[in-house]
Amino acid sequence: MSRATLAAELRQALSPHRFLSAAVWIPVPVVAPRSELLQTSWHAVAERHGCAHCGEPCQGDAEFCCDGCASVYGLLQASGLSAFYLCDLPAGVSQRNADAAAWRYRVLDDDPVRSRFVLDDDGRQGRARFGVPGLHCASCVWLLERLGRVDDRLGHTEVDLLRRTVTVTFDSSRIALSEVAGALAAIGYAPLLAGETPALASAGRRRLLMRIGVAGFAFGNIMLFSIPRYANGAPLEDGFQRLFDMLNVALAMPVLFYSASDFFAGAWQAVRRRTVSLDVPIVIGLAALVTRSLVDITTGHGEGYLDSFAGLVFFLLIGRLFQQQAFDWIGFDRTFRSFFPLSVLVQGSDGEETPTPIDRLKPGARIVLRPGEVVPVDARVIDAEARIDYAFLTGEREAAIVLAGNVVRAGGRLLESRCRLQVLREVSQSDLAELWTRRPVAVGRSHWLTGISTAFGGWFVIVSLVLAAVGAMAWWPDTTRSLEVATAVLIIACPCALTLAAPITLGTAMTMLGRRGWYLKDPAVLLDLSRINSVVFDKTGTLTAGGEATVDLPGLRPDEIGRVRALASQSVHPISRALAHSGTTTGTATNVCESAGRGIRGQVDGQTVALGSSAFVNEDCGTPGEGVDVPGTWVAINGVVRGQVIVSAPVRPGIEAAVSMLARTRSVSLLSGDRDASDPRWLRLFGPQTKFRQTPDQKQTLVGALRAQGTRVLMVGDGLNDAGALEAADVGIAVSDETACLVPACDAVVTGARLFALPAVLTYARRARHVVIICFAISVLYNAVGLSLALAGLLSPLVAAVLMPVSSLTVVGTSVGLTRWWARGVPSA
Amino acid sequence: MSVMVLLIAAGGTVASAFLVAFIWAVRSGQFDDTGTPPVRILVDERDTQRPASRGSNRVHEQSRS
Repeated sequence: MSRATLAAELRQALSPHRFLSAAVWIPVPVVAPRSELLQTSWHAVAERHGCAHCGEPCQGDAEFCCDGCASVYGLLQASGLSAFYLCDLPAGVSQRNADAAAWRYRVLDDDPVRSRFVLDDDGRQGRARFGVPGLHCASCVWLLERLGRVDDRLGHTEVDLLRRTVTVTFDSSRIALSEVAGALAAIGYAPLLAGETPALASAGRRRLLMRIGVAGFAFGNIMLFSIPRYANGAPLEDGFQRLFDMLNVALAMPVLFYSASDFFAGAWQAVRRRTVSLDVPIVIGLAALVTRSLVDITTGHGEGYLDSFAGLVFFLLIGRLFQQQAFDWIGFDRTFRSFFPLSVLVQGSDGEETPTPIDRLKPGARIVLRPGEVVPVDARVIDAEARIDYAFLTGEREAAIVLAGNVVRAGGRLLESRCRLQVLREVSQSDLAELWTRRPVAVGRSHWLTGISTAFGGWFVIVSLVLAAVGAMAWWPDTTRSLEVATAVLIIACPCALTLAAPITLGTAMTMLGRRGWYLKDPAVLLDLSRINSVVFDKTGTLTAGGEATVDLPGLRPDEIGRVRALASQSVHPISRALAHSGTTTGTATNVCESAGRGIRGQVDGQTVALGSSAFVNEDCGTPGEGVDVPGTWVAINGVVRGQVIVSAPVRPGIEAAVSMLARTRSVSLLSGDRDASDPRWLRLFGPQTKFRQTPDQKQTLVGALRAQGTRVLMVGDGLNDAGALEAADVGIAVSDETACLVPACDAVVTGARLFALPAVLTYARRARHVVIICFAISVLYNAVGLSLALAGLLSPLVAAVLMPVSSLTVVGTSVGLTRWWARGVPSA
Repeated sequence: MSVMVLLIAAGGTVASAFLVAFIWAVRSGQFDDTGTPPVRILVDERDTQRPASRGSNRVHEQSRS
C-alpha cells in the first residue's frame, strides 16, 4: 500500500466527524516504523514535525523530542499498546522535563508517606490513588487502564479524568508502592508526590445528589397529590383531601429536614457569626412557605404551598450542584507544583541510604545527591569534589568545582557524579529561602473584581430582605399574594449568578492557560495580568534557552577547532558535548585523560590539546597566561593558550517577534545578570532599556522603582536568580525548562518553549476581565427584571426557583463559552 | 373509589423503589465520576495483545480491504 493511501485513510479516520470509523479502525496495533506512518499522515495534516510521542517540536529530523519520549514509545510498542498513538494524536505527555528516575519514588515506601496514597491493602492486594497531572485525553484513559500489560504485578486501574487521578490495584506482596509510581512514570504519567493527597470530592457530591434525589421524589409526588385539587378548583371530597394533605405533609418533611438542611445550617452559621450569607433569605422564604402551608392544612384553610416548597428546594439544590461542578472543573487542574525534589537520600551511620523528606533534614545530616539533583539546602561537600551548576543563582552557565570541606549553596545542581554532602542548616534558613522571604511588604495584589462577589453578595442580601418586606406590606391585605411576593423576591434576589461570574470565568481562563503550558498561581493573577503596561525580561534561561547552548571558538583555525572537537567528543561534559556536536572533527584523539570536573587532555594528530578550566589548561603552559585565570573554558594547543570557548545560548524561537509585538503597546526592558553586554541582538530589541551585570538585588530594586512610578510591571525571569524581582513586580512569571529546578513564589510558571505566546496571554487576560464584567451585567439584569416582576406579583415562588438555576446557567454558560472561545487566540502546544 | 387508594399505594411503591434505586446508585459511586466513562468508550476494546511483527501486517491488510 502506498504512503499516500495510508495517509488519506488515517486522516479520514482521525477527522472528528468520522469518529465511528475511527473507533473501528483504531484498535489495530500499528507497529509500522513511525517515521513512515505518522509523518506522512497526522503530521502532514498538522503541517509540522513533532515528537512521535508527545508532538512537541524536535531538533532537526529527530523522531522524538527527548530520550524520555523515545523510551515511553518503545515500551508501549513492546507491550502491544501502540494503538495509543492513533486515537488522539499527539497523545503523549512530553518527557523532556520528566524525571522518571525511580529513586524519586522511594519515599513512597516510608509508612507515613505510603499511607497517604494507599486506600486499602490486605497484604496481597492493595489499592493506591495518585494524582497524575499529565492526564488529558481519551488515549490517556485507554492507556492507563491497560497498565497491567506493562507490568503483570499491576491489576485493574481506574482513571478519573476530571480529577486527574489514577487508582491502581497492585499485588502488594510482589510490588512496592514506589515501583507502582515508577511504572506510571515509565509510561509518561509521573504521579504527583507533593501537596495534598488527591482529593476525593465524591463524599460531598454524593450527599448533595441524595438530597436532590429526595427533594425531586417529594416534589414530583406532592405535585401528583396537588393536581386533583387544582383541576377540581375546590377541595375534593372530604376523605381524599385529608388523605392527600397528609401525604403531602409526610412527603415534605424529608425535604425540610434532610434536603434543605444545608441551607438551614448555612443560615444558622451566618447568624451566629453575625453576618449575612446567601442562605439567609432562602431560609426565610422556605420557613415562610412551610409555616404557612402547615397552618393552612391544619386549619383546613387550603392545601398550602408544599409543592412550591419541595420544587424550590429541588431547583435550589440543582443550582448548587451545578455550582459545585463548575468549581470542581476548575479546581482539579491546579496541580503544578513540587518542583523541588521531594526528598533526598540521607546516609545513616551504618552507611544505609534512606529517602527523607526535605523538611525533616537536620543540620549535620549526611545527604547523598545524584547528578542532576538540586542541592536542597546549604551543605558542605564530604567527597573529594563536587561539580555544581549555579546557573539558577548566577545566570552563568558554567559549573563550579567545590572541593571537599567547602560549602555548596542551595539551588545549585549537581553535575556528573554523585556526591555526599553534610547539611549545614535547616532548609528554611538557606540562602534561597532568605532571598525569597525578602519580600516587599504589602504588595497590593487584590482587585475590586475578586472582592465584589462577596461584598456585593452581602449587600444584595440586605437589599432583598428589605424589598421582600416592602413587597409583603404592599400586598398586605391579600395574605396569599403577600406571602408569594415576599417569597419570590427572596428567592429571585439570591445573587448566585453574580457570585459565580468572577470565579468561574477566571478559573476557566486559568485552566485554558494551563492547557497551553501557562500555569497561574491563582485566578486573580489574570486580573493583574490584564492591566500590565510594562514588561521586564531576564535574559539567561528566559529569553535564551538554557539547555541548548551553542559553542564557538573564536581565534582558532578550522582545523584546530576540528581537533578540539575530536578531543571533546571523548567527554560527556555538557560543554564538551556541545563542542563535539558543533561541527566536523579532525583526526582522532589518543592518550585522552580526563580529570573529572577540571578538563580533558589528549593527543590529536600529534598535537597536545587541552580543554578545561583555566587552572587545568595552565598546567600545560607552564606559565600562567595573561588573562587566563578567569572563569570559563579554555583551550590550549601544544602548550599555548589559544582562546576561550564562547558558550552562547540561542534565543528561544519566536521570542524576538513576541518582544517587538509587546513593545508596540507596552514598555519592554531587559535586565540581565550576564557580563556580556556586547550582543547587538538585545540592544536592537530593547533599545536603551537594556541593563547588564544586574545582581538579583539590583533587579529587585529596579522593578520596585518602576512600580513606584505607577507602571504595572510584569517580570519574566527564570525564577531563581531573579526571585526577588519576580516578587517585587505586580506579576512575576517564572520560565522553566526543567522540573528539577526550584521555582520560588512567582505568580505563574511557563515552560520556555511557550514563552513566545506572552502577548497572546496578555490579550487573553484582558478579555477574561471583560468576560467577568459581561457576566456581572447579565446577572444584574436577571435580578433587576426578576425583582420587578416579583414585586409586581407576577412571579410565583416556583418560577423564581426555576429562574435561579437558569440565571446561573446563563452566566456560567456565557462565561465559560466566551473564555474558551477567546482561548483559541493563545497558541496551544 | 377504593381503587384510588390502591393506585396511590401502587404509585407510591413504584416511586419509592426508584428513589431507593437512585440512593443505591449514588451510594455505590455511580455518580462520582461523570467525566471519564463517556471518554472511556471512545476507544474500542477489540484490540488484543499481539506480537509486534504481526501488527504491521494487519494494518496493511486492513487498509487494502
